[in-house]
Amino acid sequence: MNYAFSNPLAWIVLGLVPVGIVLLYFLKLKREPVEVPSTYLWSKTIEDLHVNSLLQRLRRNLLLLLQLLTVFIAMIALFDPWDTGVSSEQDRTVFLLDNSASMQTIDTGQSTTRFENAKRLILARIEEMTDSDEAMLLTFSDRPETVQAFTSDRSRLRKSLAGVSVTNHSTDILGALKAADGLANPRRSSDIADVKDVQVADPKPADLLIFSDGGFQTVTEFNLGNLKPEYIAMGSSDVQNLAITAFSTERNTERPAEVQAFATIENFGSDTVSTTATLTMNGQFLDAEAVEIVGGEQIGLSFAIETEDAASLSLTLEHEDDLAIDNIAYTGLTPMRNVSIVVITPGNTPLKVGLETEKTAQICSATFFSPSYLNTDDYKKRAADGIDDLIIYDTCSPDEMPATNTFFIGALPPTNVVETAASESGSDTTPSEGAAETVTDTEDSSTTENAKAVEKDWKWASPPSAVNLIDIERTHPLMRYLELFSLLIFSGRGIEGPPGTVELVGADVGSILSIAPRDGYQDMVLGFEIISRNDAGDAETNTNWYAERSWPVFLLNVLRYLAGAADATGAPSYRPGETVRVRLENAITSPQVTRIGGSSIDVTPGPGGSLEIIETGVPGNYRVEDQSKLADLFAINLFDPRESSIATVKEIEVGYESVSSEDGSVEQRPDFWRWALIAMLGLIATEWWVYSRRVA
Amino acid sequence: MSNREETQLLSPSLLGRLERMELVSRKVFRGRMKGERKSKRKGQSVEFHDFRNYVPGDDLRLIDWNLYARLDQLFLKLFQEEEDLHFYALIDASESMNFGSPTKLHVAKQLAAALGYVGLCRADRVSVQVLGPMGRHAPALRGRASLWKMLNYLDGIESGQNVSLYEGVKDFSLRNSGTGVAVLITDLMDKDGYESALRMLIGRRMDIFIMHVLSPEEIDPPIRGDRRLIDAEDGDSSEITLNNYALQKYKETVSSFIGSIKTFCAKRSITYLPVRTETPVETIVTKYLRERGVVR
Repeated sequence: MNYAFSNPLAWIVLGLVPVGIVLLYFLKLKREPVEVPSTYLWSKTIEDLHVNSLLQRLRRNLLLLLQLLTVFIAMIALFDPWDTGVSSEQDRTVFLLDNSASMQTIDTGQSTTRFENAKRLILARIEEMTDSDEAMLLTFSDRPETVQAFTSDRSRLRKSLAGVSVTNHSTDILGALKAADGLANPRRSSDIADVKDVQVADPKPADLLIFSDGGFQTVTEFNLGNLKPEYIAMGSSDVQNLAITAFSTERNTERPAEVQAFATIENFGSDTVSTTATLTMNGQFLDAEAVEIVGGEQIGLSFAIETEDAASLSLTLEHEDDLAIDNIAYTGLTPMRNVSIVVITPGNTPLKVGLETEKTAQICSATFFSPSYLNTDDYKKRAADGIDDLIIYDTCSPDEMPATNTFFIGALPPTNVVETAASESGSDTTPSEGAAETVTDTEDSSTTENAKAVEKDWKWASPPSAVNLIDIERTHPLMRYLELFSLLIFSGRGIEGPPGTVELVGADVGSILSIAPRDGYQDMVLGFEIISRNDAGDAETNTNWYAERSWPVFLLNVLRYLAGAADATGAPSYRPGETVRVRLENAITSPQVTRIGGSSIDVTPGPGGSLEIIETGVPGNYRVEDQSKLADLFAINLFDPRESSIATVKEIEVGYESVSSEDGSVEQRPDFWRWALIAMLGLIATEWWVYSRRVA
Repeated sequence: MSNREETQLLSPSLLGRLERMELVSRKVFRGRMKGERKSKRKGQSVEFHDFRNYVPGDDLRLIDWNLYARLDQLFLKLFQEEEDLHFYALIDASESMNFGSPTKLHVAKQLAAALGYVGLCRADRVSVQVLGPMGRHAPALRGRASLWKMLNYLDGIESGQNVSLYEGVKDFSLRNSGTGVAVLITDLMDKDGYESALRMLIGRRMDIFIMHVLSPEEIDPPIRGDRRLIDAEDGDSSEITLNNYALQKYKETVSSFIGSIKTFCAKRSITYLPVRTETPVETIVTKYLRERGVVR
């Protein structure tokens, strides 16, 4: 970095100051008149003196010498010529300012955060820039931001620097390095072997000043090239920090009212810390636990809560340490969802009635279609987008499985070879019939490939016959509160599912109700029809289940646990600054997002009810509401041990270079010269006053 | 007033001592009247001077008859003629003389009075004059009784007779054609120079004494700092920053000035007598002037 001293004009102006003082001094000199007998001899003396009068006047003129000395000191102080510690050969500087969460740390003995200290250091560097120096300001947290491109305008740099603020984000320096790299190390335009080829831009070597606490991953896949790194470590390695690194809730799947909250607390300092962890729910005190954590260790906490409703929980550590943001954690319990289901049925009154009870209507909005709907584009789009929470196929089967959970009644899900088999046989059967046929065909198939394919698919395990129920998986949520042994089933078939299938209801013909996972979704298959058709095509009941009390209860369980109305897990937690995507029901058109204790965030739902929330910089519990009705919950937490580990790293690795921390003490030098200058000016003023009085 | 001035100028003890002194002239001048001083002329004093042959027409009373008896030749016995001495004390009364404590003018008056009194006691013709128009009214005095006249005249001298040295001396020379002893009491601070004035006096074939009166303030000025020096005579001003260096230069100038006067005077048989005003006039006259052969 060049100083103003390199500018000859500055030297000329500087040199004119003492000359001006001397001139002013003599021009404004007040001379005391003295009467002498004759100036005859004096004039002779003066003539002699005139030969070297200026030097004589300067000689022994203490006042003038003091003034010149003062001005000299002032000039030296202003130019600060000894500030060589931060000088550099480059006239381009890239300021990389870490504004991640760990920079909020207020170190012991400091009154301001590391971020503020770093800003002050950068400001001092900006002030030292000469007119020919250029600088660029980049901030980095989990993403880089070019606050100010290369400029020699110090006021713009100052303004840009004043505008940056610390974030709650995690740290990733690579993006910022790449941004700086792009300017310092231009790539070749084309063939490196071609001697005529020229680079598109001259490389612009620059100093890379990294103001950080080093709390980021080692960057190895990066070549510094023309960048000359300098790491100015902010903060100290002697820190005190207690952090909550995990906090979540989980409902008991069997007893949804029972909620367990789990937290992990880690001590990133070296001393043992005793404190209290306080749990609040919806702002009300709920529980507290005393914790004692040895330095460098972590402990787990768990709280048992009982609530059926949605709730916002926060866990606070009653301990003041260097970094406050990780002393509080948030989580939420999501509400029962309002699910959207599609029922494709040729006609099933019990099903329709069961889905339209008062209780189910609160959590479900069901749409009914006939099987012919399966061939429409609307269905295909709907199935591919997966905008419904559950599709119930009553005695029918689609060509492809939809991107959502399914419930097949008296039919099997399609298989990979179903279409091939169907086309080979040239059958025009309905999908359900085709599916049934396929099972037979595949059973007969001797090819290994088909056998493997079949193994993954659903198939009938027995021919149609009367069914007697034998066993019920009561522990499964879908089977809760169900009493099924009084059922009469006139015709049903045992089913076999793909690997991972769970038998929910066993019968003498095999599994009659099974559930199996499929790419993150779940498929449930019932081995008998509720309403069957006779040869004439008339509907007739195949079971008396619809008349049983267990029928609506079963449907409610399906809605809750298969359609996902009751999510058994807690609200998801995201990192600060992360874009949160929430999927809402189609019914919600004007959602509102608010942070508890904060302001609301404007959002516009996208197609398919998806909602992207970007303003997630502040940790807290966020509520997605629809006309004051809670639609979803999520939490923003730091939960980053790297950020919470606030001890300053002494050496960072950038590219293939290890960069040791530089001492930023040059800028921290106290400006005593100001006081010295004021004292000197005061002395001169006093002396001038005394002198004037004496002469007068 | 005259009594007061008299005691101011000459103390009784000094008067007593002055009565025993006489002015010394390195040249023997022809006086106008018979006095107490040897003359070039042979005359009727008691002091033998020479013999010469008688020529017809000589006064027979002067023939040495004793010699005629022994040698049988007529010789005239010649005696030294005693005449008076013309003593001129010229006082420079310019404004520059009104400086110092006592003022240079006062010292000049004292010296003039003392020397004049010596002359009066020895029956010399004493004329104490101030340079300038006032000098034209100066009385020519003779005899001890004229002391009061002389002192009265001196009392009447005020500073401010700002004529140049040359003009003053020229005026004096025109009015006084005779030879004699001229004591010029001055500070020689004339911007036109002192040389022409002294040459004028030399041209009159006078025995010239220069009493150069300087005050200690002039030799070693007590002033320091940034000053505007104002000339007491013509109001001319000069700006100067008086530090040790400048003062040193000034002293060198004064020394050089005095040296140049001494050289000038030595070349022209002028007796240069530096006088400092802080020295009592008694000491000057009875010791200093005597040592230098002005009086005896």
